[in-house]
Amino acid sequence: MTDPQPQGGRTIAPMDPMFDPASDVAPNAPQRALALHRQLDRTWSDEPGWRGFFTSVNHGTIGLRFMATSFVFFAIGGVLAMLIRAQLATRDGAFLDVELYNQIFTMHGSIMMFLFAIPMLEGLALWLLPKILGARDMAFPRLSALGYWCYLFGGTVIVLSLVAGVAPDGGWFMYVPLADSTHTPGINADVWLLGVTFVEISAMAAAVEITVTILRCRAAHMPLTRMPLMGWYLLGTAVMMLVGFPPLILGSILLEVQRAFDWPFFDIARGGDPLLWQHLFWLFGHPEVYIIFLPAAGALSTIIPIMSRTTILGYGAIVAAIAGLVFLSFGLWVHHMFTVGIPHMALAFFSAASALVAVPTAIQVFAWIGTLWDGKVSFRLPMLYVMGFFITFVLGGLTGVMLAMVPFNWQAHDTAFVTAHLHYVLVGGFVFPMLAAVSYWMPLICGRWRVRGLGESAFWLILIGFHGTFFLMHLTGLLGMPRRVAVYPNNPEWEWLNLISSIFGMIMSAGFALFAFDVVMQWLFGRRSWRNPWGAPTLDWAMPVPAPSYNFASLPGPRQPDSSALLPLARGEGLLPGAPRDLRETLALDAGSGRPDHVAVLAKSTMLPLFTSAAIGSFFGAVLAGIYWLAPVGIVLTLIAGWKWGDIMGSTTDHPDVRVAPGLTLPLHWQTRNTLARTGTVALLLADGTLYASLLFGVGFLSVVAPAWPAPASGLSTLPMAVTAALALAAMAVGLIAAHRAEALRDRAAGTTWAGIGLAACLVALVALAGLALGLDDPRRHARDALRAVILGFAVFHGVVTAMLALRSLADARGGRTSWARRGAAPIWQLFQSFWLGTSAVSLTLVAAQEVLS
Amino acid sequence: MSWLWRALAGPILWAAMFLLVYALHGAGCNLGWTDRPAPIADWHHMAMWLAWGAGLILHLVLIRVMPAGRGRPRQLITMGAWIGFVSTLVTLFPVIATSTCA
Repeated sequence: MTDPQPQGGRTIAPMDPMFDPASDVAPNAPQRALALHRQLDRTWSDEPGWRGFFTSVNHGTIGLRFMATSFVFFAIGGVLAMLIRAQLATRDGAFLDVELYNQIFTMHGSIMMFLFAIPMLEGLALWLLPKILGARDMAFPRLSALGYWCYLFGGTVIVLSLVAGVAPDGGWFMYVPLADSTHTPGINADVWLLGVTFVEISAMAAAVEITVTILRCRAAHMPLTRMPLMGWYLLGTAVMMLVGFPPLILGSILLEVQRAFDWPFFDIARGGDPLLWQHLFWLFGHPEVYIIFLPAAGALSTIIPIMSRTTILGYGAIVAAIAGLVFLSFGLWVHHMFTVGIPHMALAFFSAASALVAVPTAIQVFAWIGTLWDGKVSFRLPMLYVMGFFITFVLGGLTGVMLAMVPFNWQAHDTAFVTAHLHYVLVGGFVFPMLAAVSYWMPLICGRWRVRGLGESAFWLILIGFHGTFFLMHLTGLLGMPRRVAVYPNNPEWEWLNLISSIFGMIMSAGFALFAFDVVMQWLFGRRSWRNPWGAPTLDWAMPVPAPSYNFASLPGPRQPDSSALLPLARGEGLLPGAPRDLRETLALDAGSGRPDHVAVLAKSTMLPLFTSAAIGSFFGAVLAGIYWLAPVGIVLTLIAGWKWGDIMGSTTDHPDVRVAPGLTLPLHWQTRNTLARTGTVALLLADGTLYASLLFGVGFLSVVAPAWPAPASGLSTLPMAVTAALALAAMAVGLIAAHRAEALRDRAAGTTWAGIGLAACLVALVALAGLALGLDDPRRHARDALRAVILGFAVFHGVVTAMLALRSLADARGGRTSWARRGAAPIWQLFQSFWLGTSAVSLTLVAAQEVLS
Repeated sequence: MSWLWRALAGPILWAAMFLLVYALHGAGCNLGWTDRPAPIADWHHMAMWLAWGAGLILHLVLIRVMPAGRGRPRQLITMGAWIGFVSTLVTLFPVIATSTCA
């Protein structure tokens, strides 16, 4: 028996139109919808069979894969949680030995954070964004696929380490000195550091393309100030990922280098400090909570008004609250370190920020409650999960404010109270909304309506099981039970609470299993869903169910503003109808106004993302196995894959402008300068700049806080070193000039010459940097020397990337891929060259200042 | 995009002020500024007070000059400017009262 679909089908009109009321684009002439569908499906569908599995780059396929894989990892993490609860059910639990228990709780946290929560939100974003914004795909389809393969390979290695008995065992935040090579001599910690870094490639890839897709690939004439709230939430998430992940990536690299080569970043005897790891980790770790929460809140802001048959209350206030959250969440990280001995004033800064961040969160909660109050709530399954969110998340938020107060934090630190709080926040703020989202969008995913009753039963099991497990854990914590203990023989007063928590934990697990069963039943046996079953106004429902590979037969514009335009869009009356050139085309806009700028031609199915992730993985695998001599092979393979990546991007001929609508023709992206790739590079360099800033923070932090400073006298203050450094900077500056001249003279032979000069300048700079490396002090001597080596390594890495881009521009010029209209890779080269020059100049100034002041 | 920058100017200034005052706090403790008397309190406090005060004034300037356009875009810019002001006011308020390096 299937659940009855909502009756009436009345579509809610958005209070404010999503498009600029002053804009207009004439409609295209209607065509036969079936012919358009066949034409588009031929261009956009994955290849058939197994080859299609490995070559797909379509956002629909990749997004669903991300979500399905993350649910598999969620199930694995859930089984580990059940093992933990079984062990803690009695005070002398003998179910697991301590060593295995350490691995299991570490893996539970790591899997849930890095292999479930983040990939789940990435999957939802990749699958949903083009649909809800009115595009045909994400801005960089191959990047989606690359991210997925990196996630799958890295996650698989991390999980298999548990089977091999060498899983990480130092807690999911891997504090040093516990995680250094002295106290964790095996590869357990290396699995975490390298595996998580490999997986985070997918997070960075997703962040770049979510940012660019929202800014540049919305429906024509949809200004930022009118786009669906989901767009704002995911834009905030993506920017936070760009800024939040680099500190963790840097910390992981530094700790892995310390473990592998004894460079003392965190060794207090040689100028390092374990607190540096904590700062870098929590600079990521606290924003991470909001990175997880924001997409979930986006789902809530989308679902609540529709389930309440009204419009969202306070659009502007919610957007402002998102902006406030994005920024404030980066001023809280030290509240995870309140007990490590930080001066009172610093504690007070972070305590105040921790309390203040409750305000934008509360604004959103009140907006949602007001929306419910204003509407007529329909308690369908998604709405039940929304109610579960309210109950759970608000309680978690309140205990969060308690923990933001330093005196209480000192008492509750590292107890089960904190475990209870974080589960209330993460399950309340992410899992319940995601379950609501899956329930809500399943008809669009599989085209079927759910089987009646199963979902409700799963919801109640999850809700009751969750609160039975974790509410009591607050009490266990207040009674003094620390986190991460395997047995507690001398504390019988904790036993009954733990036993009840364990029983309810099993109930919750049964609920999640029933949820998964419900989804499978719906997919296989559910009745056919009709179009737009919820009567939603958003563009994600302006398409057939299940969603076709191309989303829209023609793209929405001011005359097709919401889901009511389903048929005109299917008939090709919107913009850029069909695929007459057999190219995967979507519109690219001016970021702010939403004015159409050009037509972006997206990549078709290819094995390249799979090969590239395998090449990157071979590097990580070699380092993990300790076969360091083999690691350069992985780097070379990655460079070759990167070269191939650019090889199929250009065009050797000028293309005529494309007719998008009557009176509106636009160039293809090869013939514009402000391409999606250029915007993506800016986003990537934002993340890159954050990583560099984190490195500078490390230098500053150790200089003023670590006890074993000042550092010993260095051997750098010599004239040859100064001359070599000046030569490197001068060559980089010449490269920058050449990059601009190569673009300016791209239609003449001089353009090729300048590209060659630029490449030569890059190589000269790289040779000079290599010369500087020869003069460095031994990095194992002191943290200052180690950091200088890392700074130099940063410059060399960017030099190699920049040289590759210069070579690409030279090849473009010589291969006829540039003309007056086509610019090739030069604009991207310029951005990297500027970044390389700028960061290198700052680095040189920093080292010079250290030498002068020492 | 200029609209987005206007809307985010307040929070960006807050981030810069937070960074500056936190850095001044760390540097002052390391360099012993608490031991250098100033006209009021010590140089460590003075440096942080000056930075905080200058930041608040800049925020007020942003509130005054940033709003542009009409309707929702203007409202969002105004809200962004106020978010920055309140954030700086609250999160850096401890420079008034709390001891510094203990």
